[in-house]
Amino acid sequence: MTRQRVEPSVIAVERGPSRRRSRGPLAAVATIVLLLTLLPLARPLIGQPYNYVLQIGMVGLMWIALASSWNIIGGFAGYISLGHNVFYGIGGYASGLLLLYFDWSPLLTWPIAGLLAVICGFLVGLVTLRTRGPAFIISTVALLLMVALLFDNWEFVGASNGLSLPLPPFSIETVKIPFYYAMLLIAVGSVYLSYRVAHSKFGLALRAIAQDETKAEVGGIDTRKMKVTAFSISAFFVGAAGAVWGYSLTYLRPAIFFSIAIAAEMVLMAIIGGRGTVAGPVVGAILLVTLNEISVSQFGSTELNIVVTGVIMLVVLLFFPMGVVGTLRERGKLPSILDWD
Amino acid sequence: MTTLLDVAGLSKGFGGLQAVNDCSFTVERGAIAGLIGPNGAGKTTAFNMISGVLRPDAGAVLVDGVDITGMMPHKVARRGVGRTFQITRELGDLTVLENMVVPTARGRLSGLFGARMLRDEEERAMELLDFVGISRLADEKARNLSFGQRKLLEFASALMADPTLLLLDEPAGGVNPALLERMMERIRTLNEQGLTFLIVEHNMDVVMNLCRSIVVMAHGEVVLTGSPAVVQNDDRVLDAYLGKV
Repeated sequence: MTRQRVEPSVIAVERGPSRRRSRGPLAAVATIVLLLTLLPLARPLIGQPYNYVLQIGMVGLMWIALASSWNIIGGFAGYISLGHNVFYGIGGYASGLLLLYFDWSPLLTWPIAGLLAVICGFLVGLVTLRTRGPAFIISTVALLLMVALLFDNWEFVGASNGLSLPLPPFSIETVKIPFYYAMLLIAVGSVYLSYRVAHSKFGLALRAIAQDETKAEVGGIDTRKMKVTAFSISAFFVGAAGAVWGYSLTYLRPAIFFSIAIAAEMVLMAIIGGRGTVAGPVVGAILLVTLNEISVSQFGSTELNIVVTGVIMLVVLLFFPMGVVGTLRERGKLPSILDWD
Repeated sequence: MTTLLDVAGLSKGFGGLQAVNDCSFTVERGAIAGLIGPNGAGKTTAFNMISGVLRPDAGAVLVDGVDITGMMPHKVARRGVGRTFQITRELGDLTVLENMVVPTARGRLSGLFGARMLRDEEERAMELLDFVGISRLADEKARNLSFGQRKLLEFASALMADPTLLLLDEPAGGVNPALLERMMERIRTLNEQGLTFLIVEHNMDVVMNLCRSIVVMAHGEVVLTGSPAVVQNDDRVLDAYLGKV
């Protein structure tokens, strides 16, 4: 078969403004990461609330990792998973068991937990990704309920009582530091992965799938393979974050990891920030963690803070229907510091 | 001339409706073949079965002698069969240029580490957009295009995959006369370069002008196959469109 070539045109190509991007956002992101890296060294500056600051930092970084990872399948590929915290739990338990049985620290074994999550994601994806739309969402909820039930009754992992882990071998002054750095690494890794997806042919295929699967297929894209791949790689940093988080709590319990509220929060963060953008889940995570922290401090850990969070989220989505980053970009008002796509 | 597309006894039913029934025809390599018939004759269903979007109940599709019956659409596409849709299916959130390069994202996981668009792919895409006359819209979101421009984009993006056989589903439908003229000219140019076409079209001027062989379908069956002259003078064709008098 011969390739047909169209004669190269001699007509000059008219184009809009150059789509080549500046190096601006890269420098900004590098600065942010550098500042975050230096944060634990600023103990004299932070003073008394040092551990609190690192704890909040770690929580924020964790949610950045979770929301960014979810965004690969839920944002770019358009498949809403409401069971993504299955991988969070799998990662937490995997590293916890490695600690209990082999005395390997989860601060080092989180990549193993991540890989296990990828394998599980692959196997689960082969089944659940046969469905699409609402049926897919329901299949992920079903998966979550099934896994929760399994862990609730599995004696080897302590059933519903869970497992207690040995305390981390650090002093009270320094205990937050290694956790913070592990989470920083995981968060940076997941945002970078998200960036790679957005800038690659793989991501282009996922975006085509999100728009029109039949059209993508006719364009020669193996949609099933792409979706399963997206689903499984999106599990990696979720599992990794679960491993570090579980160790920081020093106990593992199904109720902590397999609550649908965790999956819902990943989804909300990605949607509020902007689904299918790189910066969106990061912005969404920071927004929601901050909001939650403020409303807890103002209204106490009552139901009221959840109501406040809910109201504010509604207002945000009213004015930013495509999420903060998505809507600002659509209007051409996205600050270049947040333009990572 | 050799046979490029061989459709043998294709059948497809939806519930009680037999959309395509024992449909057989061939398309020679290098031809521009037409597939005509009244609405509901089963032309688009036949297209869907050839391109893998629908799985036939019976029959076979051979491309270049290889049986592609029931293959997934992406496998059919990779065998050199491209198609457009009657109702255009541009990817609205993607830019026109991104729409063009989607077929280059067929690959392996290594696609995660490479660039979204290689320079030569971009050049090729711009060349094709130029060829159909919409290169100035390259950075526009596809959803902002007019109907006619979408038809052109659909056509150009199908060419991006370098097909050997291109199935066009009503390329002239709803397109203004000036654009239509351009489309026909482009089809001829590509055909001269060796691309084989199978075209579903209601506009008889277009069909009679472009096609040297025509397949007429009605009620899911092939009524007649022949040259424009033969088809135009056959009572069965008139019957198919107007009903028996």
